[in-house]
Amino acid sequence: MLKKYFSSSIGKKQTVAVTGFMLILFLIMHLAGNCFIYAGPETFNKYAATLESLGPVLKLIEWALTAVFAIHIAFTAMVVIENKKSRPVGYAASHYKERSLATRLMPYTGIILLVYICTHLFDFTFADTTTAISIFQNHQLGLYGLVVRSFMNPIKLVWYLIAMSAVGFHLSHAIQSLLQTFGVSHPAYTSFFRKLSLGLGVGIALGFSIIPLYVWFYIVPTLI
Amino acid sequence: MNETLHLTLKVWRQKDGHSKGHFETYKADNIDSHASFLEMLDVVNDRLAIQGIEPIAFDHDCREGICGACGAVINGRAHGPMSRTTLCQLHMRNFNNNDTIVIEPFRAKALPVVKDLVVDRSGFDRILSKGGFVSVRTGGTPDANATPIAKTKADLAMDAAQCIGCAACVAACPNAAAMLFVSAKVSHLALLPQGEVEKKERVTNMVAQMDQEGFGNCSNEYLCEAACPKGISITNIARMNRQYLASSVIPA
Repeated sequence: MLKKYFSSSIGKKQTVAVTGFMLILFLIMHLAGNCFIYAGPETFNKYAATLESLGPVLKLIEWALTAVFAIHIAFTAMVVIENKKSRPVGYAASHYKERSLATRLMPYTGIILLVYICTHLFDFTFADTTTAISIFQNHQLGLYGLVVRSFMNPIKLVWYLIAMSAVGFHLSHAIQSLLQTFGVSHPAYTSFFRKLSLGLGVGIALGFSIIPLYVWFYIVPTLI
Repeated sequence: MNETLHLTLKVWRQKDGHSKGHFETYKADNIDSHASFLEMLDVVNDRLAIQGIEPIAFDHDCREGICGACGAVINGRAHGPMSRTTLCQLHMRNFNNNDTIVIEPFRAKALPVVKDLVVDRSGFDRILSKGGFVSVRTGGTPDANATPIAKTKADLAMDAAQCIGCAACVAACPNAAAMLFVSAKVSHLALLPQGEVEKKERVTNMVAQMDQEGFGNCSNEYLCEAACPKGISITNIARMNRQYLASSVIPA
């Protein structure tokens, strides 16, 4: 029966939706954590250290998150491949004028995010925070210093902003989509859900994007 | 006021399901602006027949917008540019003189072309055969209000029952999904007490058949709702999603 559910079109979509929902929750927590950067190096590094001190619990969360990502991507890939096959001969006249940019870009913003997450993990998660890179004005600023140093690189800054725009586009479609997929829909609320989706998507993307700009325009001039 | 239009048609011609199709360009001169789209095709076909060219095959029946037989993609839109309109109810006054009109069949793996603009919609019949009915005994004609049904529910059921199975939803869907059609059929029966009894088997079996037919997966873009000549709402799809999940967790 489980096999039947997970191989059905609706089952696959609901799997994508539930994993997507978990990823959105993770993103919101991640954003909340990132905001410690506004409190300065000590608080930010202390937050990072507190997370590290969770030890095996953190490892468990990380593995669970990886699994959620993998399921989200695998099921999406299956759905996208099936959808491509379901219309072997396309239309000559343009058919998709009403499609929003976010929905059209969905698989592509997803791919950008996947690539971004890989670079992000190597930049911050797996990186050594005790090297000279993190030293500013003879102070070893740990992860805080590493973040600042990364965003001093204009290529990394622009790549980060591109990835965050992808987050914005991805989520602005995703949030209303997951509600619909789980059957939360009512003529009176549907337009609100779509606005909520756009607002939350853009809001989360802006929340993340302000941080490197804050680093570039505010922190860097004070440290250098 | 009657006007006459001079149009250029780019029409998909395909001999049969095994042949490769292609576009042919035809001139459609002196078309009455009050003609329906299908009447325009009739006129063009008469002229083609005189020239010894095989007329364009297209499906049609009632020509009143209620049977669901007609349908083609006109300039990229299922049933043409007017909302809540079947192709037979689309009138040529909605086009301008010297327009070029691209006419294509509904495109989906599960709706294979039979000839020209005619597609095989028997997939819909097979989906209906899996649950588009009520098999419990409901007795003879009941007295009015013997089975109380809330007005709001009755309205929702009637709204869903308006689906004429034309397949414009599949044609308009970027993924060629049949969710709007199936959800309308699932909803209109499940909302009423006579159909509610079998709602779990119905949604499970109809979705299974829908998948087997090779329709795509819904990605919540709602182009189906925009194309539907009967204005079937995507809240039906949400209802089907809920029912499918519920009947997967606790089967009938």
